[in-house]
Amino acid sequence: MTAAQAADRAAAGPEPGTPSLLARTAGAEWLRLRTVRSTWWCLLAAAVTVVGIGVTAAFDEAAGPGAPSAALPATFAGEFGVLLGQFGLLVLALIAVTQEHASGSIGPTLQWTPRRGVLLAARVAVPVVVATVAGVLLALVADVAAWLIAPELTLSAAELAGSLGGVAAVLVAGSVLAVGVGLLLRSTAGALATVFLLQLVLPALLPGFGVAWMADLGEVLPGTGAVWTLLGEPDMTAAHAAALLVGWSAAAMVAGGWSLLRRDAS
Amino acid sequence: MIQVRGLTKEYGTRSRLRGAGTVRAVDDLTFDVQPGKVTGFLGPNGAGKSTTMRMVLGLDRPTAGSALVTGRRFAELSEPLRVAGALLDAGAVHPGRSGRDHLRVAARTHGIPLRRVDDVIDQVGLGPAARRRVRGYSLGMRQRLGIATALIGDPAVLLFDEPMNGLDLDGVRWVRQLVRGLADEGRTVLLSSHLMSEMEQTADHLVIIGRGRLIADASMQEVMRREDAQRQVRVRTPSPRDLAGALRRRRLQVHPTDDGDLLVEGATAETVGDVALELGVAVHRLTEEHSSLEEVYLDLTGDTVQYRVASAPEPAELVRR
Repeated sequence: MTAAQAADRAAAGPEPGTPSLLARTAGAEWLRLRTVRSTWWCLLAAAVTVVGIGVTAAFDEAAGPGAPSAALPATFAGEFGVLLGQFGLLVLALIAVTQEHASGSIGPTLQWTPRRGVLLAARVAVPVVVATVAGVLLALVADVAAWLIAPELTLSAAELAGSLGGVAAVLVAGSVLAVGVGLLLRSTAGALATVFLLQLVLPALLPGFGVAWMADLGEVLPGTGAVWTLLGEPDMTAAHAAALLVGWSAAAMVAGGWSLLRRDAS
Repeated sequence: MIQVRGLTKEYGTRSRLRGAGTVRAVDDLTFDVQPGKVTGFLGPNGAGKSTTMRMVLGLDRPTAGSALVTGRRFAELSEPLRVAGALLDAGAVHPGRSGRDHLRVAARTHGIPLRRVDDVIDQVGLGPAARRRVRGYSLGMRQRLGIATALIGDPAVLLFDEPMNGLDLDGVRWVRQLVRGLADEGRTVLLSSHLMSEMEQTADHLVIIGRGRLIADASMQEVMRREDAQRQVRVRTPSPRDLAGALRRRRLQVHPTDDGDLLVEGATAETVGDVALELGVAVHRLTEEHSSLEEVYLDLTGDTVQYRVASAPEPAELVRR
């Protein structure tokens, strides 16, 4: 080592360990998320959809014919709301990743955090946590609003915990899928189309054709697992639904992680 | 200190006509970039300058070879901004984020205090524009933001890829002084630019590549001295015919120029002046002309230019290899 190198090295000072590096990187990811408007637009869209659908469903219930035969839990409002409103949150998580590739700012990002494993961990964790926490809070608001609008609905702590747990599971799986597909495809349009097809369009349409193989195909898509977790439909075991959520998000994570860790940045 | 050793980058190509193949964008490059100097990194478009810089910074994975920054691979650094700062592509910023927020994110990854963000904003002269979204920035403002980002960690090594693009005259002068100052402080500076006159004024050392290969790795003086044998004298006289004849009798090559001057090859001003005195003709102008870096550069890279117009300069021999 030359004297110049030694001087270079001394100037760098002691380096932080991986945990504190991870904390810094996660902090930077959160700062990245909240300093662009698209994040807030997505949150607004999710809020309007989740709470709006929940409240509308509650009004519909309150105006419904006669007293409900069995007490319906108010949590159905948040579940219906999240079923559609989740897309605002998935888009939030997805464009947090793909926008970096669209603008080329992945270059600076990797210059600041060249240890890609650290970047990957933060880049997955932060949008997933943000989307999940936002979704659970919005579902809670929808549930409480529904209960206030239609007092005949029940709202127990156990129902709430169970329902919000399901919402959280759906959003964790969905946003991991979105981030993974985003990391793999690197294109906003391509990744959005893929996630929409897998999570909403195909699971909703395929069973409707009345063709056996299409219905079978629908049963292996991640969106079907999400619908079951939220609404308990279609007929499916909990293990099957859990396998869909975990399997798809794990596969997306492996593919997206490979893309970030191994491919040239572009 | 940047050490590039046998650095090679191949890209796979798929063509229906020629089948799968590979293109060598960077071919077995080896050179050092020393501290305390501005090292100019030159080469025609497509020569592999940016790819080399991207590999030094760990953005692209080399097919072979390695690049070390202060003795370590960049991709292993925990606090890279404190070691090496770089401006590669001024446009590579999220358009919806403000310049200041962009710098805040950079600072956040390294635990750099917010005060330093405002310091570098002042240093590059971004001023109040820093709080506007990058979408509305001119190329010059983006360059300034990129330079601010490179400087934020006070690094010992700096890489600038075409930092003068889009800057006005003041901006170009500012970059020149900044880069000189950084090198004078003992930092390692690698600077690529197509502005040869700027490079001639700024760089101490030159690394010239063409088609991914090293063409020259030498000090500015060495590169310029190579052309000294070909220096020429420009002389203006009311009797060019007589003077040209007298010079030719001394076996000197004389070429009349379009504006009526004579260019005398391989002569010194003294020789030409003495000949004129002997002959008794008036001399209105007498200057020794050295090749500019631009001419040396064109000479060196002539046969490696990939994208050229129809009338191209003659191929030149290489300084090294």
